[in-house]
Amino acid sequence: MKDTLNKILKIDRRWLFLLLSLSILIPIIKPIGISSSSISSSVQNMYDFIEKIPAGSTVFLGIDYDPSTAPELHPQATAVMKHLFKKNIKVVILTFIAGSGGLMDELVRTIPPQYGKVYGKDYVVLPYMPNFTAVLTQMASDMYAIYDKDINNKPLKDYEMMKNIKNYKDFAASIDITGTALLDGAWLPLVGDKYNLPILGGVTAISQVGLGPYLQKKQIKGLIGGMKGASEYERLTNEQAKATSGIDALNIAHLLVIFFIIFSNIILLVLKFI
Amino acid sequence: MNIFKKYIPLALVFVFGIVTLASYYVPHRVSESYMEQISVWENIVFAFSLFLGAISLLYSHYNKIVKKVDGWGYSLFVYLGFIVMIVLAIVANGKISDEGQMTALGWGFNYIYNPLSATMFSVLAFYIISTAYRSFRIKSSSAFLLFIAGLILMLGNIPLGDLIWSKLLGWTHTSIASIKDWVMNVPSTAGKRGILIGVSVGAAVTSLKIIFGIERGYMGKD
Repeated sequence: MKDTLNKILKIDRRWLFLLLSLSILIPIIKPIGISSSSISSSVQNMYDFIEKIPAGSTVFLGIDYDPSTAPELHPQATAVMKHLFKKNIKVVILTFIAGSGGLMDELVRTIPPQYGKVYGKDYVVLPYMPNFTAVLTQMASDMYAIYDKDINNKPLKDYEMMKNIKNYKDFAASIDITGTALLDGAWLPLVGDKYNLPILGGVTAISQVGLGPYLQKKQIKGLIGGMKGASEYERLTNEQAKATSGIDALNIAHLLVIFFIIFSNIILLVLKFI
Repeated sequence: MNIFKKYIPLALVFVFGIVTLASYYVPHRVSESYMEQISVWENIVFAFSLFLGAISLLYSHYNKIVKKVDGWGYSLFVYLGFIVMIVLAIVANGKISDEGQMTALGWGFNYIYNPLSATMFSVLAFYIISTAYRSFRIKSSSAFLLFIAGLILMLGNIPLGDLIWSKLLGWTHTSIASIKDWVMNVPSTAGKRGILIGVSVGAAVTSLKIIFGIERGYMGKD
């Protein structure tokens, strides 16, 4: 008995890897369809805030993640962008992450046409800038001093939607979807707290824990956390997409981790008493 | 030589540090104009640092290849990846798509960089599952507390957690989501606040030490 339990405890880790792979693959191939029954307060706040932004207003949408965090954050960005366009809010898309170029490109290639949105009239894309501190500081007085051209190398000022835009005062909010600390480390201290621009965002599930103080003080007006947050947002906007289908894999993988922790500790407990 | 290596850098750091710090708190046209100029300069310096970083990376891997140190083969892939993406970017004129069509750079991003980067990150899941089974030992009350907090967060993060909770503990008239929110909003936020205050005070002290020339690590050892 003792030997058997010890063998189970020291099982080749490749079996664990196989189990994990299956627990992720099977729900993706054949979805179970267990979606969120409740909506987190921070996600609801985010949705409510965007709902209240008047049509025709302009917001920043930061796509600050690369492919490593895309499974969690890309569905968030997709859901938020769809919501903004649905509400006829004009969007200035920007990034401080070099690796986000392709993801940002995919968003602007696929989503605006679904809502009949026109480049330059309803949305513009700014080129990648490396130094976010300098950029965010500069945009407080005149954003064209740092972004004189858009991603297509055309004068930004010439676009119809940019006619009455100069600095933060002309924006209704900034939404940053990020896998880094840009939300609480840049947008919030350099823009939100200093120039009173409402800050909202989307982060990975693991980063969400660290943003509690800002949410409590309402410095961050709304927040989507991880894939669960994205699926909740998809539910709120009635746009069920990748987060809703991906949540099944997340369900099973999380349960597997919990099961393994409990199972291995039960074995240890039994070994202690036999 | 002390003038160039020591006193001028110290004086520059002191002057720019004090003026930039003061400008943050002075809402005047002059300070705003100064901040604008500094932002532009900062961007230029940052661009140079990126360039230096790339050169340093390539140089360090070049040495590994030449000296054939352990794992030097991986360094070849650094060069390969670097060159492939640079060539694709030149061919595509830096554009990922052009008039809705994916360019060569877009192809490189979507079919090389994207899957490689996602694969690197997803490997973490395998480490987590292995650690959960082999290393997470509940041997003390602290470990038990950590397990309970982790369990609540994990269950609270998945819709299936809601379902399990309502089936097993629905009679308590609570939900796992509300318990998770409490953990996040009360003990976790309290801890995070403490850490934030500590980090911020530390950062302020270190910044002042740099401005006043007490901390000189950035100047190198020469």
